[in-house]
Amino acid sequence: MLRLKAYHRFRFPSEYYSLVLKAAMDNPIYYARAEYIETDTGNKVSRRATIAGPQNIILGGKTIIASGAIIRGDLRRTGPGHAVVISLGRYCLVGEGCVMRPPYKTYRGNFNYYPMKIGDHVHIGSNTVVEAATIGNHVDIGKNCVIGKFTIIKDCAKIADGTIVPPNTVIPAMSLFAGSPAQFVEDLPESTQEMVEAYTKNYYTRFQPMPTER
Amino acid sequence: MPPGVEYYCPCLSSTPHPPPSSLASSLYSFHPLHSLFFCEECDAVRCNRCVMVEVSGYYCPNCLFEVPSASVRAEKNRCARNCFMCPNCQNTLTVVASDPPDNGETRTSPIVLSAVGEPPFFLYCNHCRWDSAEVDMTFEKPTGLAAQLQKFEDSAPEALEFERLKEHFEPFLPAASSALARDIPGVVKYNPLTRSRSGRDRAAAKSEIPDYRARVEAGSSHGLASGSGGEVDVDFMKHLETAGEVASLEQRWVNSWTTSLHANDLKPLRIPLHSKKSKRCPSCRHILIKPEQKAQSVRFKIKLVAANYLPAITVSLPHARAAMEMIKRSSALNKSTSTAVAEEHAAAASGAMIAGKTYPFHLAFTNPLYDPIQVRLHVQRTLTPSSADGKQKAPFAVTLPSSAFPIAAFAEAWEYEDDEDMFGDEGDYDGARGTKDRDGRARPRTVGVLERRANVTVVGGEVVLGKEARGNIKFNMLVTYTYRSDDPEPENDDPTATPSKRGTQDKQPQMKTFSFYTVVELGNIIRREESKVDMDP
Ligand SMILES: [Zn+2]
Ligand SMILES: [Zn+2]
Ligand SMILES: [Zn+2]
Ligand SMILES: [Zn+2]
Repeated sequence: MLRLKAYHRFRFPSEYYSLVLKAAMDNPIYYARAEYIETDTGNKVSRRATIAGPQNIILGGKTIIASGAIIRGDLRRTGPGHAVVISLGRYCLVGEGCVMRPPYKTYRGNFNYYPMKIGDHVHIGSNTVVEAATIGNHVDIGKNCVIGKFTIIKDCAKIADGTIVPPNTVIPAMSLFAGSPAQFVEDLPESTQEMVEAYTKNYYTRFQPMPTER
Repeated sequence: MPPGVEYYCPCLSSTPHPPPSSLASSLYSFHPLHSLFFCEECDAVRCNRCVMVEVSGYYCPNCLFEVPSASVRAEKNRCARNCFMCPNCQNTLTVVASDPPDNGETRTSPIVLSAVGEPPFFLYCNHCRWDSAEVDMTFEKPTGLAAQLQKFEDSAPEALEFERLKEHFEPFLPAASSALARDIPGVVKYNPLTRSRSGRDRAAAKSEIPDYRARVEAGSSHGLASGSGGEVDVDFMKHLETAGEVASLEQRWVNSWTTSLHANDLKPLRIPLHSKKSKRCPSCRHILIKPEQKAQSVRFKIKLVAANYLPAITVSLPHARAAMEMIKRSSALNKSTSTAVAEEHAAAASGAMIAGKTYPFHLAFTNPLYDPIQVRLHVQRTLTPSSADGKQKAPFAVTLPSSAFPIAAFAEAWEYEDDEDMFGDEGDYDGARGTKDRDGRARPRTVGVLERRANVTVVGGEVVLGKEARGNIKFNMLVTYTYRSDDPEPENDDPTATPSKRGTQDKQPQMKTFSFYTVVELGNIIRREESKVDMDP
């Protein structure tokens, strides 16, 4: 019988999935070196992205902000001092032409913006507009989506391409949502976390400057 | 989405061999590796189609509240808190108060209104703008709406009728399910209830089921106002002005009984609960998947997934890769290439192949085990039914390395030392001898081991396409691998066992083999003359 050692059975490292992915696709995703600024923590931010209010934005490291993305860190809660408006974790991707805008509402007659918090290993496809309140870890959002105000997306969820998520929607963990308005489609496989983690790490490694320019 | 590799699950079938990949139905027997499970007791792959599923907990997908199983039944599997679904578009509804909004935004941000609003309250959809006042449904308080709605649901004549029906047939249910199990042998395996009660069933089966008297006459216009196909409905349909007046099938079938055809009769629905599921092996009942109790946790107490046991296989076509690279490079540099060249690259990049040509392909194997393994590959030969003249004419021929090749162990520490001692030196697995290689010998290293790094071994294969080859190129591949077993007792060498259970006791007593089938999909064939004009096969 094929048996695994106990420690292996319960602690399956995502590094293994990374190796599988690497075997499948180690072809680089090239960019022109001059276009991206790389920070000390490995974030890669396109010069063609609009980063408004950078002092209010936190990038966790190894996160990519692609060309044409707009991140509205300037839309902050009124009041003195400085506040985190948008925070992104590690190994995230904000795709080309994405708009990240903090949600807002009027509470007891006062209009205010609210912070947006995004976890680790979150990929957001190109031309998607995000106004969510919180997005967990290992979340995969497709391209051309609208993620409405105050949406909460839990860990390991997936939003299909072209999905319209109405404001205040809650998307439970490990579920696939699609359509307009977004609806539950199916439960995702038990290994989703490892798969997404490996994919986002693999993507970051492949994302590199054109070799001819070196 | 070719090219790709999927893994076979026999789903308790009597033969370990999969159906030929040329059959459309074979699609249902193959799954992506990451969706499969592995039972250590049975030494077998299991899939979502064959595992036994048990609910390990219920929760509302909107408020994420974990619902105790005791209340699930009473609340009819729907959320008993303030979670409702729009009957028109199925978006989540929000509770809105009647006080005049400060500005246009207030209505779409309901959190504002929860405490301070003025009655009456109603449910509002911020996607399609449906609201419950349209169907004369308003509430005095913004809380406890679910209870009010459920009272309304439960008092509907159809619901009452259903309750009575259930009561009437309840005593005969075990008999009916055991009868079903008798007629369909597979059923008993999936129904623990019938097994335990079989003794009592026989007695119950003998008693006659008394006639049931319905309270509501089917199709009458008394109890069921509309939707049951009576004259009322005909009249309604006759005077339709827009299609939107009729509730769509999707909007109606969320109810378990006939509902009104009128779109403006649709009532808000309490949100159906979701569940967390445990999965068991259908054969030995050992647990394969056991999630953590907390509804939104993505962790598992037990998770026996096939990816931990079987090597992961990925396939790539060098010609497609090369084309892809060209596209990537030219787009990264914003070069404008001629459209003809670009189109050709696009066709090749999508994996298209031309009939009559020979293509190499790469299979990369990644070993998940902490021990090295030896792998051997076989193509499952299939006979095409069109060979009436006895001459076998396969549309394509696949050549794979014929001898075994090693894959190093997966090491977290990245200390890959030479494991040549274990499997002999490199010369032994020079698999560059193809079985049906017509002209391949002149070109070494097309078929055979191409690369070994860490726990990945890449082997090359070759496909020779016939002149008349059409459609999708895919074939079943049997993968057999030898591993070092940690089992102390060599108990499983039953000669009648499936190939997967056969141990190799000959030379090294601790070595065992495991076999599994995969389907390898290489891509679509385009005919030569079509290749430039039309990419569609
Ligand atoms: Zn199965
Ligand atoms: Zn709820
Ligand atoms: Zn709606
Ligand atoms: Zn089993």
